Amino acid sequence: MPAAPVSMFGSSAKEPDVPTRTAGGGMPGTSREFDSEVLSVERIMGDAILLTVSAPPSVVAHLRSGQFFNIVTRFSGSFDPLLRRPYSVYRAHVETSSLTFLVRAFGRGSAWLAERVPGDRLAMLGPLGNSFTIPGRAQRLLMIAGGVGVAPLVMLSDDAVNQKRDVVFVMGAADEAGLLVPSELSSHIEYVVATDDGSRGHHGLATEVIGDYVPWADQIYACGPEPMYRTLRAVVDPLRINRRPRTQISVERGMACGVGACLGCVVETTRGMIASCVKGPVFDLDQVVL
Amino acid sequence: MVPDLSVDLAPNNPRELRLRNPVIAASGCFGYGEEYAGIIDVQRLGAFVSKGITPERRAGNSMPRIVETPAGMLNAIGLQNPGIRGFVKKYPALWETWTVPGIVNISAESVADYANMAAILDEQPAIAGIEINVSCPNVARGGYCFGWDPEMSAEVTQAVRSVTTLPLIVKLSPGASDIAAVARAVEDAGADAISLINTLVGMAIDVRRRKPLLANQTGGVSGPAIKPLAVRMVYQVAAAVRVPVIGMGGIMGLYDALEFFLSGATAVQIGTGIFVDPGLPIRLIDDLRHWLEQEGFSSIDQIVGIANDGFHLGAPHVLTAWEAAGV
Repeated sequence: MPAAPVSMFGSSAKEPDVPTRTAGGGMPGTSREFDSEVLSVERIMGDAILLTVSAPPSVVAHLRSGQFFNIVTRFSGSFDPLLRRPYSVYRAHVETSSLTFLVRAFGRGSAWLAERVPGDRLAMLGPLGNSFTIPGRAQRLLMIAGGVGVAPLVMLSDDAVNQKRDVVFVMGAADEAGLLVPSELSSHIEYVVATDDGSRGHHGLATEVIGDYVPWADQIYACGPEPMYRTLRAVVDPLRINRRPRTQISVERGMACGVGACLGCVVETTRGMIASCVKGPVFDLDQVVL
Repeated sequence: MVPDLSVDLAPNNPRELRLRNPVIAASGCFGYGEEYAGIIDVQRLGAFVSKGITPERRAGNSMPRIVETPAGMLNAIGLQNPGIRGFVKKYPALWETWTVPGIVNISAESVADYANMAAILDEQPAIAGIEINVSCPNVARGGYCFGWDPEMSAEVTQAVRSVTTLPLIVKLSPGASDIAAVARAVEDAGADAISLINTLVGMAIDVRRRKPLLANQTGGVSGPAIKPLAVRMVYQVAAAVRVPVIGMGGIMGLYDALEFFLSGATAVQIGTGIFVDPGLPIRLIDDLRHWLEQEGFSSIDQIVGIANDGFHLGAPHVLTAWEAAGV
């Protein structure tokens, strides 16, 4: 008869001498790794959650909108799902030294993350990547969000309002429940919505309502699924003068390392294949081959 | 007494490849060293191996290039790299300012190209050694993988050996039908050390789109999922050759690494593990030292191969094992 069943993960289950780890990513011991505690979980946008976690004050203080963290989405002792998941920051809170991420259960990693409860520990790597930039002379900012792509734009819009810029924030979702509630954004922001089923705002895509705002805008920001960027380019390009306003997009790619070593997350640009984890995730739409 | 972790991966080569510890960052997973310089103390590693360098610069494959698989991943990066000339313009000068040995991994599609790259590297400063990736298609042989054939692997090794005195590691392909035969062939052809295993060729299908998930169709499987295969092959190769063996495949912690040392590896490489746990290689150095001390060993050498009493593979043996398991 076979012996008593052993862990399918082999030897790691019988390691007596290795220090216990709180999450699958290993002990923080590197300059950009830290162990984080889930502080709160709040339902938002229908079936998504806002996951607020602790972070070192130095991390929160220097964070810029558009940057992301690679999060381990499995229990300690398990190697599945193996790879960390990149999440850009929805909001950073200096006063409580915490970060909020927007999570919707989609694959195995996000489903695990969406099940966390306050007190759970998470292994974080970050902040990683570049960020959105607000040019000094850009007073009028147009932001376009598709679904959970809204996350980094919320943080950006906070920054913009703090800098006394004018913001028009356009969001598209499948239905009314999937939209960000207006109270999540600063009251100084003009908020325009579109839904696929017409249950709220414009009946159709977010990119169909931006035409009036493009000539007004000094700079455009977008985050959403890749087809949205193709549509965005088609809408914005004919309305531009001297290639202005410019559009900054945040590109979502599956990735392994997050530090530019594996080259698994490249974006094809006019300057070649570029690692989105280091030279992105924010790119100028004109430079991305879609 | 603090156990001695130092190892020499090229004992037959006057130029030596002596490492302070046996933990090496694997090719493809560590860029050119600088990518992790702001994240871990790269200088504490035993060594690191560069991404695969080719004769000409390569843009790499289309996206998607990686797919997660059960307890592992598939990658088809396509050897995106600046080419040998782009490499020597930048990295030897950078590596010269470091104390950690940098090893260059080379890939080519002809024997002559391998040798040409090795000759260029031979003249560079701060290159501690060359790792030959034989898991490449041999264009002269209709694209048949060099590493699947003992003679073709030996031919590449011999050609590189004839143009450089640098320590030479040959990284074997697990796709070879008799990996021990390939190991013996490259040892005879002048390899100073042998590293294994490279990734296994795999696929994943997007059921919704009815297509392979990777743009390149196939990719290399790595991570914890392949560890038992890697341990078996390291055990098998270590029993077949006298040169040092460097083991890799799914190492995620101390006990994984120990399996490789006990099987006969003189050093280990960490690849995919670094992606998900960047602190792993440095922690492993400390854990190894601690474990050796606790178990009463004074050096890492003392545990190399102590679980290896020769490799046996045969039908009667396999049947007995199944019977013993009550299947």
